[in-house]
Amino acid sequence: MSEVKVLTEFYHLPEFQTLAGYKAKGGYETLPKALKMQPQAIIDEVKASGLRGRGGAGFPTGMKWGFLPKNGEPRYLLCNADEGEPGTFKDRMMMERAPHQLIEGMIISAFAVGSNKGYIYVRGEYVYPIECLYKALKEAYDAGLLGKNILGSGFDFDLDVYRGAGAYICGEETGMISSLEGLKGQPKLKPPFPAVQGYLRKPTIVNNVETLAAVTYIVRDGAATYRKHGTEKSAGTKLFSLSGNVMKPGNYEVPLGYPLMDLIMKEGGGMKPGRRLKAVIPGGSSAPVLTAEEVGKANLDYESLAGLGTMLGSGAVIVIDDSQCMVDMLGVLSHFYAHESCGQCTPCREGTGWLNKILHSILEGRGRLQDIDLLIKVADNMKGKTICALSDAAALPVLSFVTKFRDEFEFYVREGRSKVKGTTYAEMHH
Amino acid sequence: MPKCTINGKEVEVKEGTSIIKAMVDSGERIAHYCWHDGLSVAGVCRLCMVEIEGNPRVQIACNTTITEGMKINNTSDKVRDAVKWGLDFHLINHPLDCPICDQAGECGLQDQYMEYGKYDPEMAEHKQKKHKVVDLGPTVVLDSERCILCSRCVRFTEEVSKTNELGIFNRGDRSEIGTHDGLELNNKYSLNTVDICPVGALTSKDFRFRQRVWYLKDAETVCNGCSTGCNIKAYYNREGFFRVKPSYNEKVNGHWMCDEGRDVYKFVNQEHRLLKAQVRGAAGWTEMAAGAAAKKASEVLKAAAADSIALVLTAQYTVEEYDAIVSTFVNEFKTKKIFFWINNKESFDEFDGLLIRGDKNPNTKGLLKVLEKHGITATWNELSAGLASGSVKTVVVAGPENQAVFKDFAERAKELSKAQNLIWLQAGKNEALMSLTGNVWLIPTKTFVEKDGTFINFAGLEQKFKKVTTVVSEALTLTEASLLMAGKNLAIPTAAQPFMPNNQRVDQVELEARKKNEFVFRRGSL
Repeated sequence: MSEVKVLTEFYHLPEFQTLAGYKAKGGYETLPKALKMQPQAIIDEVKASGLRGRGGAGFPTGMKWGFLPKNGEPRYLLCNADEGEPGTFKDRMMMERAPHQLIEGMIISAFAVGSNKGYIYVRGEYVYPIECLYKALKEAYDAGLLGKNILGSGFDFDLDVYRGAGAYICGEETGMISSLEGLKGQPKLKPPFPAVQGYLRKPTIVNNVETLAAVTYIVRDGAATYRKHGTEKSAGTKLFSLSGNVMKPGNYEVPLGYPLMDLIMKEGGGMKPGRRLKAVIPGGSSAPVLTAEEVGKANLDYESLAGLGTMLGSGAVIVIDDSQCMVDMLGVLSHFYAHESCGQCTPCREGTGWLNKILHSILEGRGRLQDIDLLIKVADNMKGKTICALSDAAALPVLSFVTKFRDEFEFYVREGRSKVKGTTYAEMHH
Repeated sequence: MPKCTINGKEVEVKEGTSIIKAMVDSGERIAHYCWHDGLSVAGVCRLCMVEIEGNPRVQIACNTTITEGMKINNTSDKVRDAVKWGLDFHLINHPLDCPICDQAGECGLQDQYMEYGKYDPEMAEHKQKKHKVVDLGPTVVLDSERCILCSRCVRFTEEVSKTNELGIFNRGDRSEIGTHDGLELNNKYSLNTVDICPVGALTSKDFRFRQRVWYLKDAETVCNGCSTGCNIKAYYNREGFFRVKPSYNEKVNGHWMCDEGRDVYKFVNQEHRLLKAQVRGAAGWTEMAAGAAAKKASEVLKAAAADSIALVLTAQYTVEEYDAIVSTFVNEFKTKKIFFWINNKESFDEFDGLLIRGDKNPNTKGLLKVLEKHGITATWNELSAGLASGSVKTVVVAGPENQAVFKDFAERAKELSKAQNLIWLQAGKNEALMSLTGNVWLIPTKTFVEKDGTFINFAGLEQKFKKVTTVVSEALTLTEASLLMAGKNLAIPTAAQPFMPNNQRVDQVELEARKKNEFVFRRGSL
């Protein structure tokens, strides 16, 4: 097995970015076919394909669409392109290389769920992808692919780009909806779920860029063909953003179920000379870390990683070699979460800050041995207690880092310097 | 009507009731900060955790609706542990400055800590520094470090006062409450934010640093600030009244009251009151006991011809008092010259849409009802004519308790002083009255917190209230005054109790209480 290019087949072609280039490779050929189908048939096809949300949660897409109320209420289709999970950069490439792929996927999805208005919510830092999207939207509108009566089908769909302001929490779907509504980007209480009451209190579907793009291929080739790749429960291919201490970091599209070690060693070109694999964060910074030994047993699908106590997440594989100090890395992560907590729920607002302070006390040589257990206690009590998953996302790395690499933490507390690097925090960072 | 089991107890609730509401209503103890019955659900404090049978995770009770057969409990170790840690997260950055905090004694954090405290603080890091004395507006001060960001105050300004001054700024543990650019917390209901603040973050400029709350008692009564008749709790001790807060009444004011109404305690206190009767004769003013003055006035009234006596009433007394005084005048003095002194006729029907009404009297409906019962139809013009012509010689006035809402006070007092004898019953001091000439009796009356009675509000709702305490022991109710003026004998106090400086407490009951807290009371002599 190796890379299987379904979505990314033509990403190497610069012209694939344009409408003409996209059309030359079969783009917008699925759309007219889809617009002649019954919307329910598309939803059924997506259900049958086993497509699961590629943004991180891995929720079955067809099932999500099925939660929409069966009435004529106006509804919205939102594309979550607020790719904020540290380590993830696949949506960025998709929007840069193939904006029309996303647009076609969105039109088909909108037709399936009966929405006439959609937004692509892109994180503010993605200046170039936003530029690409604007260009592509203009092309699509000019070609009659968006707007009123698309391709004479009688279906209307308006699509717009909304540029976020760069908050991590706006990648959480209800946080994104708040932000899109012009409010402070804070997640909303559930229930009601967005499918029932979302954007502007109307039924809303929020899907990731990759998920929406994949819909086109499912409709084109049928669910059975899509299911040829991947495993029984994790169907299809997925983009993985490989980063960290590997020779060839980048985005790789592989079938789900692909061995994690192969991704690192084959696609990623292996470790840097003389370095040994120490750990891997397999699904973005919120996913619990895997030790080198566990990496050998891990396959890149939802079930295999869940079995190892971690998750596939957004598909950001962060490779850590033996030159890295785990205490220092966790310090960076915990600072990120303390900075990005929206501050709504108490356990997360106070807990993320507390974890960050404890870790920096350790890093700066003020640590106490009981702080290591305190980290676990605090993280444990942040889990599952809040409106959204940011609290869990902050807690899980702490729990996994501290339990799996406890010796490094204990050494740091006792000696006031890194076990791996032998230096103090000040020396490491200046 | 779904039935559920809460901590083993069967409870039937209305469709759509949240677990927390059902628990609070059925008297179950459940920790919570952000939930407030009068506001939307925020679900952010994460304290109202419950376990629902069949669900492995603990849930928040405020955002969970009860369904048929639900089995809920919040006494399990799992829930208690979650609450304990939830509370600890609230406290790690809290300054714990209880000794100098106004909220101490009625603080949500203190209350919950007694039950859910960890009693083993593990926070060894520096606390977050935030803004301390933030002047939010004319009535409220914020201490951001004490704030637990429950967002109640923000939701209040969004949903109830609809003025939207407040917001939460910044993120994470740097979050702070504040006012939006160019705005200050300045609305007619701003002090409700202080009431609903579960901690000492928002404090009232009027009340802060004036009393420790454990030196205050409270009792329920009805606000006499306007014809809405909000139900209130009045807080007092031997030194007087210190504040009022709204008390929930679904039919009248819900959870709230206006800022104007917060001032009603002020004119009740001794410094604004007539402590003794003042009688002005040929020799100038002399001071005497209220009962004695009323007795003396009865001689004048007895000697006067029936058609030369008039009674002027403001709508600030109770129905029972009106009944007594009007009957006395009709039956004993045989006069129907009874007049309603209306303070602000033109704005009587104004209403701000929430609670504040233009009729600044608590009992206009009550007065009108009593007047109607006795067939009184006299108008002020008749009185003016009578005074001008000299046919009205003796006037008894039940003056306003809340003089601030009687803008025409001095003018009317002057007009009424045309009468030969002016018997003025009133609770508060007033310069205009002291400058009158002629025969004047100024007799102190009791305020609304010093008597039992009934107010009838704008909607015709009769609200009975009980006496809270006595501030001026010598003062009379209108009932007592009218009986005395009719020549009846009453066992009323005729010798005044001396005015007590703040540090003196002679009350025996208070003494008993004092023994329990020796240190506090002995401190002065150490």
